[in-house]
Amino acid sequence: MENAIVMKNVCKEFKILNRHEGLKGSIRDLFSRDYKTIEAVKDVSLEIARGEIIGYLGPNGAGKSTTIKMMTGVLEPTSGEILVNGLVPYKERKKNSEHIGVVFGQRSQLWWSLPLIESFKLLRDIYMVPQKDYEEMLELYRSLVDIEPILHKPVRQMSLGQRTLSDILAAFLHNPPIVFLDEPTIGLDVSMKDKIRSLIAGLNEQKNTTVILTTHDMGDVDALCKRIVIIDEGKKIYDNDIEHLKSYFGSYRTLRMRLADDTWEERLIDESREDVMDVIMKKQKEQKIKDIQLQEISTEEVIKKIYEGGNRS
Amino acid sequence: MSECTTINESKRPRRGLRFYASIYRKILVQDLKSKMSYRADFVISTIGMIMTNLSGFVTFLILFKNFPSINGWDYHHMLFLYGFSLIALTPVQCFFDNNWNLRFQVQSGDFIKYCFRPINVFFYFMSEVFDVKGLGQLAFGIGTLVYAWVNIGIPVTPWVIVKLVLFLLTASLFMIAIMNAAAATCFWIIGSGYVMVIMFRFKDFAKYPSNIFHGVFRILFTFVIPIAFVAYYPSLAILESDNIPVLTWCAPALGLLFFYLSYKFWMLGVKKYDFTGS
Amino acid sequence: MNMRRHLALTRAGIMESLQYRLSTAVTLFANLIYLVLVYFLWKAIYDSAGTDVVNGMTFTDTMIYLILATALFNFLEMFVVWDMSRSIQSGKIILDLLKPMKFREYTFWSYSGGHVIQFVLTFIPTFIVVMIVTHGAINMGVNLLYFIVATIFALIVNFNMEMIVATICLYTESTWGINIVKETVVLLLSGASIPLAFFPEAMRKIVDYLPFRAVYDIPLTILLQKDGTDTIKGVLPMYGLQLAWIVILTICGTLFWKHAVRKITVNGG
Repeated sequence: MENAIVMKNVCKEFKILNRHEGLKGSIRDLFSRDYKTIEAVKDVSLEIARGEIIGYLGPNGAGKSTTIKMMTGVLEPTSGEILVNGLVPYKERKKNSEHIGVVFGQRSQLWWSLPLIESFKLLRDIYMVPQKDYEEMLELYRSLVDIEPILHKPVRQMSLGQRTLSDILAAFLHNPPIVFLDEPTIGLDVSMKDKIRSLIAGLNEQKNTTVILTTHDMGDVDALCKRIVIIDEGKKIYDNDIEHLKSYFGSYRTLRMRLADDTWEERLIDESREDVMDVIMKKQKEQKIKDIQLQEISTEEVIKKIYEGGNRS
Repeated sequence: MSECTTINESKRPRRGLRFYASIYRKILVQDLKSKMSYRADFVISTIGMIMTNLSGFVTFLILFKNFPSINGWDYHHMLFLYGFSLIALTPVQCFFDNNWNLRFQVQSGDFIKYCFRPINVFFYFMSEVFDVKGLGQLAFGIGTLVYAWVNIGIPVTPWVIVKLVLFLLTASLFMIAIMNAAAATCFWIIGSGYVMVIMFRFKDFAKYPSNIFHGVFRILFTFVIPIAFVAYYPSLAILESDNIPVLTWCAPALGLLFFYLSYKFWMLGVKKYDFTGS
Repeated sequence: MNMRRHLALTRAGIMESLQYRLSTAVTLFANLIYLVLVYFLWKAIYDSAGTDVVNGMTFTDTMIYLILATALFNFLEMFVVWDMSRSIQSGKIILDLLKPMKFREYTFWSYSGGHVIQFVLTFIPTFIVVMIVTHGAINMGVNLLYFIVATIFALIVNFNMEMIVATICLYTESTWGINIVKETVVLLLSGASIPLAFFPEAMRKIVDYLPFRAVYDIPLTILLQKDGTDTIKGVLPMYGLQLAWIVILTICGTLFWKHAVRKITVNGG
């Protein structure tokens, strides 16, 4: 299989000053040389195939953004190797950025006061996109999402949803083989999230674009990703299909029981350790159960368990 | 297998000077268009610019009311220096004004967006702002220079005009270099805004003859913080007829060198910066 | 008024300023260089003048005046206008308005920590340098006490002017323009760039009726014991002038601010 991105034993360290508390501490810090090293990314290896949509997950401060910054060539890894489209990103930042698209959080990369279409034209010139390809791309956009209402609107007048949409469109405009999307649906309403997910799915399908998606919204993951990578405290703790994820800690299911007073009681059951029937029987000895439901665990719950449980290999 | 396939690089034209010029022109046109929609801002800023220049003049006049000359420089020669410095400060005001926003963008992490494009980061950053107000300063400067020129009675010959243009451009390079370097300190020092503020205030001393400085400080203000080159040395090329100092003739080359070094320093800052702000 | 709450803001401000240790060092250094520039310029000016005393000011007087004016300028410098415009743009202003303290008070006390640091880090060293260089040309007597009181008044006048200018930002987006007008006017008419003693008679008269003089000129005049301020009799009218401006500006500023806030709450920012 063709690889778009390869990372081998990548580490990234930051040096920061140890701060002390209080007014006295602040004065002491003035002369202090007490630095500590923080390992933001520890020995991460990763291969991402062309055309994949990867969900890159992890709790806040896990090292997701740092990894993406390294892949985009903004940060240099402390050790290890990264190849993106066959290039070493930090050594050839300009060349690398020709072949990637980036949407970073809620920071718009478009010209704030220009109408979107003018930003597009500038990007077309900056990336030297042939006019024919540019028009084809706009056509594709039109077929996937209704862009007319935003095309002639200055970015500063857009709503958050429209701005995110614009940024995503801008990231795909030069048809890059890889697009990085960092929390693209954060803060958006349900219908806008939906729009953006189907747009990403559509572009991935039409252009075979590799998409690296970081998000905290499991809806994004369920809708778009086949494979997910989870990173916590700088270490890769999971890298596999989304189906395998559910049996990651064992096979979990949620048991819901309606009790005599019509309230529902919920319990998460690890089937490798206890039997669902045992639980029901035990409960039935205490009180009457009127109804029973068994639910598959949601991705959200698994992820939550992984984040909370730390890294169990 | 952990091979990473390379994209087939179709032969794209190189991004040369012409490419950057055309991009800058396009951004400029769009920027001016959108500025038209902020009329109140434009009017107030223009008033502000006029006030700054007027107050500079008033200070100057008050000074000369009390003191007839400074270090052998009379009123009209001083005015010449003044006008010269105003014109030389125009490019930094017009084209490099975004330097003032650098520290905020670096601190908030927004700066990262300039690193995702296949063009020069310095260029991309500076291209975002064109400050129209600088043109008002240019008008002030030209007016002052012409008035002083006529009163001193410098003959107008093609050679003098060529020298004037060359040395004005030279002078402006030094100020651009100073501001680039001052702005770039924010990559290393948090809250370094004051460096820019004070450097910008240093420029007010560019309009005085630099032979007022002595010893170590003459060297400091000539070669380290080169305000002596923002007006004094370059303008000697016009004001003096015979004994033009060597430093005046070196100014164009030194200007390019300073600009280049400040650019390198700025880019080094980009490279060293952690982008931790998020 | 709960003083503890106010002093907590002062303390937080001091701690925040100290976080930027490198920038503190750079600020100190840059200021020294600036003072050197001022020194050479006025040395040359006085050397060319041929006389030692111009308009009642000797070279030493002028130097002390200008150097301490610069030090005062750094000490008094507030970025209220910029901070305000940024917090309006980001919408943070709403949060500030929700704080359980009057906004003007909150702002004043938040800045006070920075003032303390600036006083210790820039004003006192500058003062000591001036004392050494001029071999004690500044009288070390009760005038120091008068000066400190005048400086505190100056601080309040300055804060009020800053707030009024910052309030204008609620009406227009043109922060740069407003700020540059303020800075230019204050620097020129307060005597920070040229001592007011050098101003022509007509201009002096106008400047005497403006609030700017209360910020730089009055404290420095008192410190140098010029204009009959060597006795308490001469100092009191100066204090009177400062206090009058404090009252006038506080009233105007508060009313203006209330009007502006009503505009935000009506228009929703």
